[in-house]
Amino acid sequence: MLRPVEMSRIVVAGSKDVIEPVVEKLHELRLLHLVNFSGSQNGFEMGKPIGKAKEYSEDLIKLRSMARYLDVKSKAPTVTFSDSQVLSQKDDLINKVGDEVTSTFERMVAIDAESKIKLDQAKVLRPLAVLPLPLEDYYGYETLAVFVGTVKSAVDADVARVSPKSEVYSGSTKTASIVAVFVPKDKASEVSSVLSEHGFAEISVPHLEGNVDSAISCLESSAKSLEAEKAPLQQKLKDLRKQYEDLILATDEYLSIQTQKTEAPLRFATTENAFVIDGWAPTSEFGRLKADIESAAGGHVDVEKLDDAEAEGLAEHGEDIPTKMNNPGIVKPYELITRLYAIPEYKEFDPTLLIFVFFPIMFGMILGDIGYGVMIFLAVMLLKKKFRTDGWQQLCNIVLIASVWAVIFGAVFGEIFGPLGLWGKIMGHLPEHEIELLKETGGFFGEGVFGALGRLGPGGIFPMDRLATNAVLMLIGISIFIGVLHCSVGSIFGIKTELNYGEKKHAYFERLPVLMFQVFFAIFLLGLVMGQMIMVYLGGIVILISIVMNVMGPEGPMGAAHIPFYVSNLISYLRLLAIGLASVGLAFAANQLAFYVIMPMLSGGAESPTIFATIAGIIVLFLVHFINMLLGILSPFMHPLRLHYVEMFTKFYSAHGGGVEYSPFGHVRRFLKA
Amino acid sequence: MAITDAGILYGLLAVGAGLATGLAGIGAGVGEQGIGAAVVGVVAEEPGFLGKGLFLMLLPETLIIFGLAVSLILMFAWTPFAAIL
Repeated sequence: MLRPVEMSRIVVAGSKDVIEPVVEKLHELRLLHLVNFSGSQNGFEMGKPIGKAKEYSEDLIKLRSMARYLDVKSKAPTVTFSDSQVLSQKDDLINKVGDEVTSTFERMVAIDAESKIKLDQAKVLRPLAVLPLPLEDYYGYETLAVFVGTVKSAVDADVARVSPKSEVYSGSTKTASIVAVFVPKDKASEVSSVLSEHGFAEISVPHLEGNVDSAISCLESSAKSLEAEKAPLQQKLKDLRKQYEDLILATDEYLSIQTQKTEAPLRFATTENAFVIDGWAPTSEFGRLKADIESAAGGHVDVEKLDDAEAEGLAEHGEDIPTKMNNPGIVKPYELITRLYAIPEYKEFDPTLLIFVFFPIMFGMILGDIGYGVMIFLAVMLLKKKFRTDGWQQLCNIVLIASVWAVIFGAVFGEIFGPLGLWGKIMGHLPEHEIELLKETGGFFGEGVFGALGRLGPGGIFPMDRLATNAVLMLIGISIFIGVLHCSVGSIFGIKTELNYGEKKHAYFERLPVLMFQVFFAIFLLGLVMGQMIMVYLGGIVILISIVMNVMGPEGPMGAAHIPFYVSNLISYLRLLAIGLASVGLAFAANQLAFYVIMPMLSGGAESPTIFATIAGIIVLFLVHFINMLLGILSPFMHPLRLHYVEMFTKFYSAHGGGVEYSPFGHVRRFLKA
Repeated sequence: MAITDAGILYGLLAVGAGLATGLAGIGAGVGEQGIGAAVVGVVAEEPGFLGKGLFLMLLPETLIIFGLAVSLILMFAWTPFAAIL
C-alpha cells in the first residue's frame, strides 16, 4: 500500500507477420506501459503504421469538426454501442450527417456575415441622411471625383479656391459635419489635400439606389429576415445533436482506438522481418501477458522479462519506471491529494495511505462541530449525486470522511453550532464547594476545569470547551504531539527512501538528525512543562548530537542552517488549534449576538422575545453560521493540505523529481461495449 | 478593576499579544500577495502546477502561527508572573 505496484521490464519480439494480432491483444489487455523506440540502436528503425491508419485519422478529423459544430461534449455515457454497430453507421454518420451538419453550420456562418454587412452598410448610410442627394448620385461618374466624409470645419471656400468648378453639399448630425464634394477629376489631388487640412475622414458609400432613409430601412429589414432564417437552422443543429450525440461520442472512441492501434508500430523498433516492443507491466501480471500474447500470435512471438539488474541498468540510463499507485478502495480518493502535488517516483513511498490517516483527523480537529459536520456531510452527499466525474467524486469522498471526523471531534469539544450553552441545564450545576476549590487552584473557567461543559472523563476533560484557557493549553500540546508524530513518520520514510536509492550518507546524516531533533525537542519541551529535569537534559543532549550529525552530513556546516526550520515545522502544527479557535470563536459570537444582543434589544426589554425579534435573531444566526461554515470547509481543508505538502512531504518526497504515471497501451471503453 | 501596576501590566500583555498576531498576519498577507498573483498566472497556463502552487502560496502562512504562538505565550504562560508582579 505504501509502495507503488511492482513493475517488470518486458520485451516482446516477434515476426512482422503477427504484428497486428499482437497489437490487438496488447490493446485489449491494457497492461503494457510502452517505452517509445528512441531510434538510437543500430540495425533497428521505427515501425510504419499498419492498416488503414490514414483513413481512420481523416475520419477522426471530420468527426471532431462535426462534433465541434454541434457542440458535443464528453459526458457520462447513457447508451453504449457495439463495435459492429458503430462500424455500420460510421460512414453514414461522417459523410451524410456530417455534410448536413457542415452545410447547415456554414449557412449559419454565411447568414451571420451577410447580415453583418447589411447592418454595417446601414450604419454607414445613417449620417448621409442629412445630405439632400439620392444614393445613385454618389457614384458612376467618368469625369468627376467624389469625396464624401466627415470634416471638422467648413470646406466650401477652400474647395472653391483650388477648383472653381465644384459643387459642395454639407449638413451636420449631432456629432459630426458631413460633406459631399464633387470636383473635376484633374483637381482631385489638390482638393484631397485641402480636405485633409480640415480633418476629412472618408465614408465609403455603398453602391445602392434611392432615398437614404428607405435604403436604411430596407437593409435593416433584410438583416432581420436573415436572422429569422437562422432560427430553424439552429433548431436543426440542436435536433441533430440530440439524435446523434451518443453515436458521435461512440464513433470518436472507436476511431481513437483504431488510430491508436494502427499507429502503435511508430513506437516499436523494427527490422526487415521482425519487431521489438519494450515496456513495463506489473510483475504479477507478467504470466497472463505472456500467455495471452503468445497464444494470440500462434507462437510466432517471444515475451521475455528482463532480470532486475538489467532493468535497473535501463532505469539508471534515464528510462522512467512508471508508477502505479496501489491503494485499497477507501484510500483511493486521497490519491487526488497526492497527485495534486506530484506522482511519486517508482522507488519512493506513496504517501496516500498517510494522507488517509492524518488528513481527516486534522480536518476534524480544526472544524470540530457536530452541527457543521452534519451539514457538510449532507451538502456533500447532494454534490456527490450532482457531479459524477471522477475528480468530483474523489473530492466528495475526501470531504465526506473528513466531515465524519468533524462530528466525532464535535462531540469531544461539545459543540453544536458553537459551544453548548445548555450543558448546565442538562447535567446540573457543579456543587458550590467544588467551584470554590477550582477558583482557588486557578482552574475555574465557567464550570469544570476544561470549561463550562466538562463533567465526564478524567479531571472533567469531556466535553472540553475550546475557548477555555486549560483546553487551549492542552490543545497546544496535542497539536505539537500530532506534529511530532506526523513529521517523524515523514522522516522515517525519508530515511528509507534514501536507502532505496543507496544514499547512506544522506539517510543517516541528513534525514535521521531531523527525526532525532524533532522528537527530542518535543521531549525537551514536555520536560520543561512537567518540571522533569531529566527529560530536559536528555532532550538537550540528543538535540546537540543531532546538530553535530547534521554538520557532519553532506551539506557540511550549511546543514545547521536547516535547524530553525525543524522548530518552525513543529510550531506550524499550532494551526490545528488556531484555526479551530477562530471558527469556534465566530460561532460563539454568532450565538451571543443573536440570543443576548439582538433578541433582547428588539424585544424592548420584555421577558420573552417578540416574534419579530425571534425572526431577526434567526436571520442573524443563519447568516453568520452560514459564512462560518463556508470558511469551515475551506480552511480546515487547505491547512492540513499544507501540513502534508510543506511539513511532511518535504521530509521524504520527490527528492529525485516527480514520477511518471503508469498508462498502459489501450483505451478505456466508455461508449463502446467491451 | 482599579488600575494597579499588575492591571496595567496585564493590559499591556494583552495589547502585545494582539500586536503579535495582527502584525504577523499583515506580514504574511504582504508576503502572499506576490506569490498568489504569480501562482494564479502559472496555473492559468499550466493547471498541473496547482499543487506546487498551493505549496508555495501557503509557505508564508506559518508567520501568523509564529505570531499566534507568541501571543499564546504572552497571554497564558506569562499571566502567573503578571499576578506575582
